[in-house]
Amino acid sequence: MNTNAKLKDIIIEELNLEDLTPEEIDDEAPLFGEGLGLDSLDAVELVVQVQKHFGVEIKNMEEGRFAFRSINSLGDFIEERIAA
Amino acid sequence: MPRFRRREWTSRSLGTRLGHNIFYCLIRFGGRWPAYFVLYLVVFYYMLFRPSVRRRTKYYLRRRFQDRKLLARFMDSYRMSLELGKILIDRATVGILGSEKMKVKLYGRKKLVNLSEQRCGFVLLMSHVGSWQVALSALSFIDIPVNLLLEHEEGNIDRHYFEYTGTASPYRVIDPGGYLGGTLEMLEVLKKGEVLCVMGDRVSGSQKSFVNVEFLGEEAPFPYSAFKLASAAGVPIVVLFSYKNGPDSYALKISRIIRVPKNLGRSGKNFLPYVSKYIAELESFVQIHPYQFFNFYNMWRNKIK
Repeated sequence: MNTNAKLKDIIIEELNLEDLTPEEIDDEAPLFGEGLGLDSLDAVELVVQVQKHFGVEIKNMEEGRFAFRSINSLGDFIEERIAA
Repeated sequence: MPRFRRREWTSRSLGTRLGHNIFYCLIRFGGRWPAYFVLYLVVFYYMLFRPSVRRRTKYYLRRRFQDRKLLARFMDSYRMSLELGKILIDRATVGILGSEKMKVKLYGRKKLVNLSEQRCGFVLLMSHVGSWQVALSALSFIDIPVNLLLEHEEGNIDRHYFEYTGTASPYRVIDPGGYLGGTLEMLEVLKKGEVLCVMGDRVSGSQKSFVNVEFLGEEAPFPYSAFKLASAAGVPIVVLFSYKNGPDSYALKISRIIRVPKNLGRSGKNFLPYVSKYIAELESFVQIHPYQFFNFYNMWRNKIK
């Protein structure tokens, strides 16, 4: 399973979005606000889940601002950190 | 995502800038007693001629003091408003005339020293009771950075105590209006082993971040974001209350340390037992200090269905 697909599964399961399927999540849509509609505490949970499932730490707000733009950017961020 | 219809509370100042400046002059040239004297009159005027001010106190007071007659209700409202006014005057006194004008005693200092020596970070959970600014001014012995989640609302012309002398803020302010409500910044400072001060008794934002807890006999929504952050960062929550206990003295009390297990997930119900512990402490506080509770809005109105 690629990183984006795994991320979608995590978001649906851990952030309680069971009424969504992975196919319905657009890789380019914003994660917060208008896109998936996640809120600020979802961001905290996402930080926890990314560390738990990928061993990648989102250390500060700047990293979060970059990584949390969309599924694609979060996937890229994780893959870059794993490769580094 | 459901949001509250509108934020029920406001931190806007009641008086005008001129009114505030008159109080500041009285303090500067006569100390706080002349300011208190004028305050008694001003609050009485507000009670008589600004019914909206009295109305704002009734949500809490009717639950805290049941079966009160009309005059007693009026006096309760007067005392609650007066206490807030005195605390604002005390805060200005500390800022204008110096912190030595106010005695502050901290109960539980050793617990705080131990936690700060461990350098693992903690959440200092405060409430809109007593004077949180006096509390922070007395915590300078903590030798790790202190961060405060603080929204500065348009129309709030009350100054922070350090602003009277133009000195730098002793704590770093995190703006809840910033990116993702400041949550990533808050998580960052906790992971760095710093102190994060947040208020635990007021709501704003999405209903997903609140749980209903019984407070004064009726369920009200309370935020669990501080508990979620503590769980994510693996740090304890220190419940701190401040209260005025004399004409020129305040007390700070470490009421409880709450340890939230790691990885509790996203659901609010997982945090309910921990939020309930905090609210139980808050309820005990208002039983002892009924007029030093400063939430002038209907906290019970927007409970989660």
